[in-house]
Amino acid sequence: MLEIRNLQVGYGGRPVLTGVSLTVESGELVAVVGPNGAGKTTLFNAVSGIVPSGGGTIRFDGDDVLALAPCERPHLGIAHVPEGRQVFPSLTVLENLQMGAYSAAGRAAWEESLARVHAWFPVLAERGGQLAGTLSGGEQQMLAIGRGLASAPRLLMLDEPSMGLAPAVADDIFERIVEIHRSTRLSVLLVEQRVAEALSFAHRGYVLETGRVILEGNHETLRADDRIRAAYLGM
Amino acid sequence: MSRTGRHWPWIAAFALAYGALALFVDNQYYQLIMTVVLVWAVMGLAWNLLSGYSGLISFGHAAFFGLGAYFVALIQLTWGISPWYGIPLAALLGGVAGLVVGVPTFRLRGHYFALAMLAYPLALLYVFEWLGYQEVAVPMVRDAPAAYMQFDDGRVYILIGLGFVVASMLITRLVERSRFGMCLLAIKQDETAAEAAGIDTLAWKLRAIVLSGAMAATIGGFYAVVQLVVTPLSVFGVLVSAQALIVAMFGGVGTVWGPVIGAVTLVPLSAWLDAEFAERLPGIQGVIYGVAIVAVVMLAPEGLFWKVRDIVRRRRAASARTESATAATPAAATRADGFRVADVRAGRTVLTVNGLSKSFGGLRAVDAVSLEVRQGEIVGIIGPNGAGKTTLFNLLNGFIAPDAGEVLLDGQSILGKAPNRICRGGVGRTFQIVKPFRRMSIADNVVIGAYVNAGSDDDARALATAAIAAVGLGDAAESIAGSVSNEQLRLMELARALASRPSILLLDEIFAGLAGAEVERLMQVIRGLAALGITIVIIEHTMQAMVQLVDRFIVLDHGAVLAAGSPGAVTRDPAVIEAYLGRKWLEDA
Amino acid sequence: MSPAQHIENFLQLLTAGLLTGAIYGLMCVGLSVIFGVMRVINFAQGEFMMLGMYFAYYIFGSIAGYMVFGDLVAPFVAALAVGPAVFLVGLVVHKGLVSQVTGISGSALEAEGHYAQLILTLGISLILANGGLIVFGSAPVSISTPLSSTPWVVGPLYGEDILLFINQGQTIAALVAVGVVVAFAALMANSRPGRALRAAADNPVAAVYMGIDVDRAYRIAFGFGVGITAIGGGLLASTNPFQPYVGIDYVIVMYAGVVLGGLGSLRGAFLGGLTIGLVQQLSALFLPNQLQNTAIFVCFLLIVLLRPQGLFGRAARRA
Repeated sequence: MLEIRNLQVGYGGRPVLTGVSLTVESGELVAVVGPNGAGKTTLFNAVSGIVPSGGGTIRFDGDDVLALAPCERPHLGIAHVPEGRQVFPSLTVLENLQMGAYSAAGRAAWEESLARVHAWFPVLAERGGQLAGTLSGGEQQMLAIGRGLASAPRLLMLDEPSMGLAPAVADDIFERIVEIHRSTRLSVLLVEQRVAEALSFAHRGYVLETGRVILEGNHETLRADDRIRAAYLGM
Repeated sequence: MSRTGRHWPWIAAFALAYGALALFVDNQYYQLIMTVVLVWAVMGLAWNLLSGYSGLISFGHAAFFGLGAYFVALIQLTWGISPWYGIPLAALLGGVAGLVVGVPTFRLRGHYFALAMLAYPLALLYVFEWLGYQEVAVPMVRDAPAAYMQFDDGRVYILIGLGFVVASMLITRLVERSRFGMCLLAIKQDETAAEAAGIDTLAWKLRAIVLSGAMAATIGGFYAVVQLVVTPLSVFGVLVSAQALIVAMFGGVGTVWGPVIGAVTLVPLSAWLDAEFAERLPGIQGVIYGVAIVAVVMLAPEGLFWKVRDIVRRRRAASARTESATAATPAAATRADGFRVADVRAGRTVLTVNGLSKSFGGLRAVDAVSLEVRQGEIVGIIGPNGAGKTTLFNLLNGFIAPDAGEVLLDGQSILGKAPNRICRGGVGRTFQIVKPFRRMSIADNVVIGAYVNAGSDDDARALATAAIAAVGLGDAAESIAGSVSNEQLRLMELARALASRPSILLLDEIFAGLAGAEVERLMQVIRGLAALGITIVIIEHTMQAMVQLVDRFIVLDHGAVLAAGSPGAVTRDPAVIEAYLGRKWLEDA
Repeated sequence: MSPAQHIENFLQLLTAGLLTGAIYGLMCVGLSVIFGVMRVINFAQGEFMMLGMYFAYYIFGSIAGYMVFGDLVAPFVAALAVGPAVFLVGLVVHKGLVSQVTGISGSALEAEGHYAQLILTLGISLILANGGLIVFGSAPVSISTPLSSTPWVVGPLYGEDILLFINQGQTIAALVAVGVVVAFAALMANSRPGRALRAAADNPVAAVYMGIDVDRAYRIAFGFGVGITAIGGGLLASTNPFQPYVGIDYVIVMYAGVVLGGLGSLRGAFLGGLTIGLVQQLSALFLPNQLQNTAIFVCFLLIVLLRPQGLFGRAARRA
């Protein structure tokens, strides 16, 4: 479904991604882990077009993603739930969800998606009229995910959904992501700092370090490899 | 800007050439144009002194210009005081007006500053209309015209104007090459970073506006003498402020020559168009200024001077490509001795933090953090994203005030002190994102950090040179910061912090974006600084490089201290593993 | 003056203040879309208002003779027609110039492009004002209609001789202004394009994640902003004489209103403009007429110095 080949990205002459290849098959949950500065968020931003790529290809169901303008890419069915949530603070919760359904597919499925998002995250129904900027961090994260789901996507890209949240809240969000994936078989690409959790639920995982994939495989092969621990803890 | 370039001969050559040209012009109209060019050159220099160097865009320099003009005209009209005295007094008045305007208005930044500045001349414009000064004519003096700065020969005005231009250029040059100019440039680049480097930003901005206001009022007074008639619109109007800004921006902001280039180009052009087409196209002058400034923003945002210099630089760089970029060499420890910390007692506590807390809208960014750092230690503060590390640094160097807790430096509380005071007290700091002054050389960048604890400008230079050598950047000292590698920028920032002769250095993610050998070299440098007795606290997300460098880790998570201890102990600590790799990692293991 | 005369004077100025203020409010709403919501500095906003005045003047001149509109309705039709016209001018100016220093291109510049915006729009303002001088001439003009010199007389009140004269043209203009504000606020609040504009202003990068063409959204918002201010200009044109340099005084009026109202809030901007109108008129109680504008400038300085977050609406989040 999503196929990234030899992707290269640099900021101001400094290489951030040096030839990353990665695939997500339909219905898969794929995790990307790696220490800070490895280039995980840059990878997502390159898919969304927020940063220009310096080489390689990205295909989504055969479409050449890099040939499209950034604002055209969500219309393919890719929903990006960005790092740090990035809700629209002065819009209400409901309006944020409506913005999620901006694409044609999202509008067509609006009633259905809204009901599903409300079922997964009841708090978003309760707070529909509240300004998103006044929500707590956990609620904003739920809204960001709900906003992504409201576009009726075929691929959901989640960037560090547990960042900055208290452990219990992060656990909660994580469980719901897994539940959403299980019940819809939606393809999910997940960047996560809680490595063990991410890998245990994912079908496959990629370990990124300094802009390249150092390891890939399923949960068992990755857990058995000392290089992850070394990448994070240095020893 | 170039420090090695000699400006004085060029300024003298310009003055001689302009003066010589003036001697051959006997058409009165051309003489007037040549005088007015000089008036706007000085106005541009006045604007440039404040806005060009400090980056605080003023839309209101007409306020000073107009006050000067009215003052000179009115005191001659009322008390018969000659402009020879009136103009110096106008300078004084302009300086005072600068202070009066600056004190409240410098509370504003960016566009608010610009808009607020616009309000002053417009308010004055209506006040002077209301006072009945719609048209103030400078009285002609028959018996001793020269004593009242009145001459039959228009060329004398050109020479006087030239005197003002030369004086303004020299003043600008003096400012530019001293710590005054350097501090203004630092403010332009990043006011918070400037504060952290020990610069009292408000004091320098006030000095700049006082000097700038005095310059503008001086030339406003001269303008009244030249035009003989002062009207509110001609001296307080928006076009006055705009013209000052435009000649400076067109020629090149932040330079001695830019405003002069701008005035020499644009003023005659608009005067010619005005003379030629004013009948049919009455607003042509303003349109030309408008087009000029739009073109500058679109094509050469910092003006002709910089555009030309960039092109020349690129040509030269292309022909000198063979000289490879200099890589950093390990610290030259011998030259670094000047930074040795005087009071070296092993185990002396340098920094004490007790129960420090800070919340942002309910989120406890830093939560009752207590820690101690001893002299000469290298301490790593690590933790996942959002753990509160940068907030902790911002509390330590005074950018933000804590909700609770205390911070002691050498046993003295530093709470409530301005960042520039804390820097003066020995706390140096680098930032997550390096913000170099791109057009300045590495050496000039570093010297800004050196002013804090240097007696004279020469001392500061010497300190900067030593700091650059200490981090191993000696070979690249004269490179322009915009052209060097990320590694060199990091070293430059380190040198800038070192040049303030700190007893403790706070390094915020200094390894970000570096890899392999670069990390090794930087670690070498940091170890060298620690060996001089400088205490070092480093923030980093990742432990990789850090485990080999630090004596001790302090791990933050959710704003609180999660663990502390030696690298070996910390990386085996279950709480740390959980924070980094997730709880399941431990469960599964 | 007798007490009754004082009261009469006060009420007269209060009415004038409210009527002028409503139009200022409309102009501020236009600026608020650009400055308050999109955070783009437009120094040339006053010149777009000036364009609105002249467009209204010429449209009025060409339609006033026709039966359908007549002299009574034509000024207001002309003022409203100015909106779309200046909207288009705004689109062109934004596409060719302003977009180079705003939005995502602007974020790469120093101070997020604010300096470049200030300087660029100063240039645009000089071109428009002085170009206006060439095209429209320097003689002050105004749209004179029977209404603009006909008052309604209220009173006598309280059995005394308090008589209130309420200018009919101004009153209708104020009502039209309020109507446009309400219609525009509804458009922004409840329509899909309105939401998209607000989202793009709120968080441009996240808006791209939603599939919104942010450049286009910014362009449309700029067009709306100058178009709405121009309608305000068109309405003002039927009571105030104007010339091509009229814009600069109103720039301060508008920024004062928007900052007073609190950035990012249309309602606040309208109330801010209304307040500025009241300040301007009521200042005549203690200040000579020539200093009315000075009162506004002083008021503006006090606002930005003492309360940059504004009096109405929320404090700006992205300061």
